[in-house]
Amino acid sequence: MDDRDVLEELIAEELAAGMTRADVLKRGAAAGAGIYGLSALLGAGTAFAGSEARALTPTFYQWIYGLYPDIPSKINKAYAKRHKLDAKIAPVQGFGIDRFVAEAKKKKSTWDVYVGMTPFVEMGALIESGTIEPWDNYIPKSVLNDLIPSIRAEATYKGHIWSYPFLLDIIIQAWNGELVKKAGLDPNKAPKTWDEFIANAKKVVSSKAAPYGAVFDAHGWRSLAPIAHTFNTNVYTAEGLFDFTSDAAVNALEVMKRMMEVAPKNILEEGKVDGGVNTTPDEEAFAGRQAAYYVKYQNAPTRFAGTWPDPKVLHIAGLPKAGKGGGTVFWNTGAALFKYGQNKRLAANYMEFLTRDVRIWQHALGKNVRGASGQLSPYKSDWAKWEKSPPSWMADWAFTVHKELATSKAIRTHKFGLTQFVIGKPAWEAYLKGDEKSAKAALAKAKALVAAEVKKSRKG
Amino acid sequence: MASRAVAARPPSGFHTFWRSTTRFARTWPYLIPALVFFVGWQLWPIVRALWISFTNFSFLLDDSPESAKFIGLRNYVDALHDPLVRTGLWHAAIFTAIFLPGMVFLPMVTAVLVDRVRNQKLATTYRLILLIPAMIPGPLIFILWVWMYSNGIGPINYVLVDVLHVFTLQNQPTWLGSTNTTFLSLALMEWWWGLGFHTMFYLAGLSTIPKELYESARVDGASEWRIFWRITFARLRPILLVLVVLRFGTAYALIDEYILTGGFDRSKPTYTWTVYMWDTAFQVGDQNRGYAASIGWIGTIGMLAVVLWLFYAFRNKD
Repeated sequence: MDDRDVLEELIAEELAAGMTRADVLKRGAAAGAGIYGLSALLGAGTAFAGSEARALTPTFYQWIYGLYPDIPSKINKAYAKRHKLDAKIAPVQGFGIDRFVAEAKKKKSTWDVYVGMTPFVEMGALIESGTIEPWDNYIPKSVLNDLIPSIRAEATYKGHIWSYPFLLDIIIQAWNGELVKKAGLDPNKAPKTWDEFIANAKKVVSSKAAPYGAVFDAHGWRSLAPIAHTFNTNVYTAEGLFDFTSDAAVNALEVMKRMMEVAPKNILEEGKVDGGVNTTPDEEAFAGRQAAYYVKYQNAPTRFAGTWPDPKVLHIAGLPKAGKGGGTVFWNTGAALFKYGQNKRLAANYMEFLTRDVRIWQHALGKNVRGASGQLSPYKSDWAKWEKSPPSWMADWAFTVHKELATSKAIRTHKFGLTQFVIGKPAWEAYLKGDEKSAKAALAKAKALVAAEVKKSRKG
Repeated sequence: MASRAVAARPPSGFHTFWRSTTRFARTWPYLIPALVFFVGWQLWPIVRALWISFTNFSFLLDDSPESAKFIGLRNYVDALHDPLVRTGLWHAAIFTAIFLPGMVFLPMVTAVLVDRVRNQKLATTYRLILLIPAMIPGPLIFILWVWMYSNGIGPINYVLVDVLHVFTLQNQPTWLGSTNTTFLSLALMEWWWGLGFHTMFYLAGLSTIPKELYESARVDGASEWRIFWRITFARLRPILLVLVVLRFGTAYALIDEYILTGGFDRSKPTYTWTVYMWDTAFQVGDQNRGYAASIGWIGTIGMLAVVLWLFYAFRNKD
């Protein structure tokens, strides 16, 4: 969306308010001040009038700048030539949203848009606390219609779009082709079922090609939920919580237990940074070429392969399918629009500018980028264009990963979307550790723990 | 006579008022910074947290604690019945019991040994080496030790598995993952970090003990062991009290090390009452800070009771 589009939308709003198109344009021309002057004439309080008062102020979760250095160094600078821009690093750590909520309580916001919100993680809390507002009135319909349907569904909550989609992560399987070949297996062939996946992993260990056959991230939203989705993606209660007692969840836990036999002993341990969620034992093992097969979001193996002597031995495929209606889990880290921020239309304009910039996707999906982050564009038109004429810079696995979106679902938005997996973890881990004999009983306990915590959070 | 009569006369009301006003004007302005600090920095947050603990204040739902509902002792009753609070308090007690003796007695023994070094250069070198860990910021220490304990890339298990072949990759110890070894592993890290700092306390205490006492005891034929207990240990009791009280507080209310090594994994022994309190206040659900404050107060009241007992146990019996 360029300035012309923004102007058209602005005019459309005023036409709806009873002003004629000629009036609007005459007043704009008389002001002779371009889009800023025009918007000021149309009335204080509109998005662009606000931009007179202060520059558009997006705030980014720091890891996004870390993964995409082009954003601060090139893309923001390019946008700043069109509009005043004051991009900052967000005061968040470990998904903390306290500062945003505290400001909203005072009916103000230092920033206009937060780039770094993941729907199932913090969107529910941001909506419930009245910190953010929907994008519906600001994103042009043409852009909304261009979003990949599953991504659009994830960004939608109670009929409104709350997240401007940006960086997509999806749980896939990856393998180190060198180790797999050493084990006498075909490195170009992806395991189609979980049985095949585990049999291959066992062969890696028995052939001594690597100390560990397979690794997974023990956090439930990165293993239990995605593996459950391979059996059935409909694993949520009416309330929107993960249904721990569903058959798919039980099957997933049993798959994880079998994977434990060929995984490092410390696989269930917490990570070393970010409150335990990152630099997890699986990452150490796969990056250190000690494990052949891997279940995690795609940007983990792509980044780690960048540290290998030959990154080309990395192979990626969708998770093994285990049932009709099976898929995987994805999440899109997008942008939230602050209710008490300013420049709302401009914020949508900026987000489109940012997400359409091909430098982002060249960095994420580039075959010659060492440690590419692997995140996918949320636009159908991008993929249609790339499929028609595959860009020379694009890694082969990009299309494989993209195809998974058709059958995948995000974890449902809920204020316990992420923490339900933290709360229930001790119960299902008891089964993985052998302290509980029945997967079903372990998951029933997990469900009870989550229910108790949800009940506790309700106002008495 | 007349002057004596004047001196004996009680001061007039105005005189008294004037004297007390000028005394007030001369003294109290100097106390204002300290008062502001004490009330604003210490007393107010304590009173505020106490008030919040009697409300159902949730950060995401309420504008402020004042707009939340007063619910009396309900948070406390719920917290005392909450298994996570009870196991959290118990786990903190276990860690304290492991940590405290090493943190108090290892530096004492080290100080006594260093104090006996007569070569001045060597004594200074020992002191410098001991102090190096104390100069490193806490988070760096924790990350360093988490790496040391790592199964995949840690040097401890590398030596045990690859060099000495005492364990295999499959049965190697998971220092921070097993309930049996986590607290001991953390205590070891803390001992290493605090050894030099605490040794300096004892060295300062040792320097105040007159050397004549040792000489007299030796002339009287007392054994070294008896000299240590009757002179050294007895004279270091005040320092021992300070260290026990200080380190009891930091051990029982430990949080950074737990979060950095165990995250928010509720199955880990590191999920103590402090981590649960933080998790409840800042991460889970509506961020129920009234309940979190009550967990904090339960832990704090328990700690205060122990500290009072420590003061009683270490009281001066002379």
